[in-house]
Amino acid sequence: MVVYYLPMMRAQSTGTDIAQERLLVSVAEQLKVPLTQIARRAELAESGVLPVDSRAVRTEATAALALVDSYLLGLELLTSQESLELEPVSVSSLLTDVAHQLQPYAKHYNVALEMTLAGKYGPVMAHRAALKSALLSLGHTLIVAGGAKETPQDRRVILAGHKNAQGIAAGLYGSLDVEPADLRVALSLQGAARQPLASLHDSGAGIFVADALAQAMESRLRIGRHNRYAGLAMTLRPSQQLQFI
Amino acid sequence: MHILLIEPDAVAAPLYAAGLQAAHYTVATVASAQSAIGAADQQAPDVVIMEMQLGAHNGIAFLQEFRSYAEWQKVPVIIHSFQKPPADTQVLDVLQREYGMHAWLYKPQTSIAALVSVVHRLGITV
Repeated sequence: MVVYYLPMMRAQSTGTDIAQERLLVSVAEQLKVPLTQIARRAELAESGVLPVDSRAVRTEATAALALVDSYLLGLELLTSQESLELEPVSVSSLLTDVAHQLQPYAKHYNVALEMTLAGKYGPVMAHRAALKSALLSLGHTLIVAGGAKETPQDRRVILAGHKNAQGIAAGLYGSLDVEPADLRVALSLQGAARQPLASLHDSGAGIFVADALAQAMESRLRIGRHNRYAGLAMTLRPSQQLQFI
Repeated sequence: MHILLIEPDAVAAPLYAAGLQAAHYTVATVASAQSAIGAADQQAPDVVIMEMQLGAHNGIAFLQEFRSYAEWQKVPVIIHSFQKPPADTQVLDVLQREYGMHAWLYKPQTSIAALVSVVHRLGITV
């Protein structure tokens, strides 16, 4: 019975189902990283090679849980029958909040975390929790990528907001060797290829989760540049109402 | 015995290095294929332990370059990766024959003790 039922389900999968399955595979692959770190850390502590480092375990577990929560939030928002309620959100305040939450993870990976806000601008229309989750997911991914760099100037992640022609771009930047076409290819390979973005050594799930959250807010992730750094950002519409105040 | 450990994850690398050092091996850790060639040149490894999923260059590209140098053609390679071993035995044969792969260990299911045991079984004495 099961043997026949599963292929039937598979055959009935829509394009959206398949995209969600691939995102889930990507997240599952990504979760192996912190879980393996925790398992090996426990082994070394049990054998007396290293002392128990509870702060490290907490940092690794917190990042894993954040990825799970971001994935679930994206799924919830994308599958909800109700239209998403956007609210005015201050990009500078949100980036500050995200930077604060990413700080322990950046320290864990020995990566410098910076924040830049170019110009003055009012709030954007966004789903606050979704935008925060997207930026956190991107941050975790870029920090791990930054940790693999071998020169201190490359071990850097910058949270930045700036105006562009469409609105306000909020994103994270680092020493990523990526071009706009790379993201399009990566999005089509997520969950199917082990390294959808060649410049990352992992599944890059944080990027795909962030893109799902951006889609829920009717935006998309784009490759962008901040000074000499490449990164990923989403453009959000300014809050017209509050601009007149 | 001197081990060259190619591990791109900056948090995991010192954990594996500590486990190998506790087993009395000396370890040089690098995060990328490019750095690995330089480290091999300076430190003449007896064994290479490597992740296949490396940023910028993948593991096969590294192995091709590494094996192209005459002095490193006999150095055994242990693949220790988040990527599962290929199901195709012909691929494994090629990796063993052409690139000196001694073992392919799936990282999430391989304890540090098991990794040390595989290194130990190489029986290299220096």
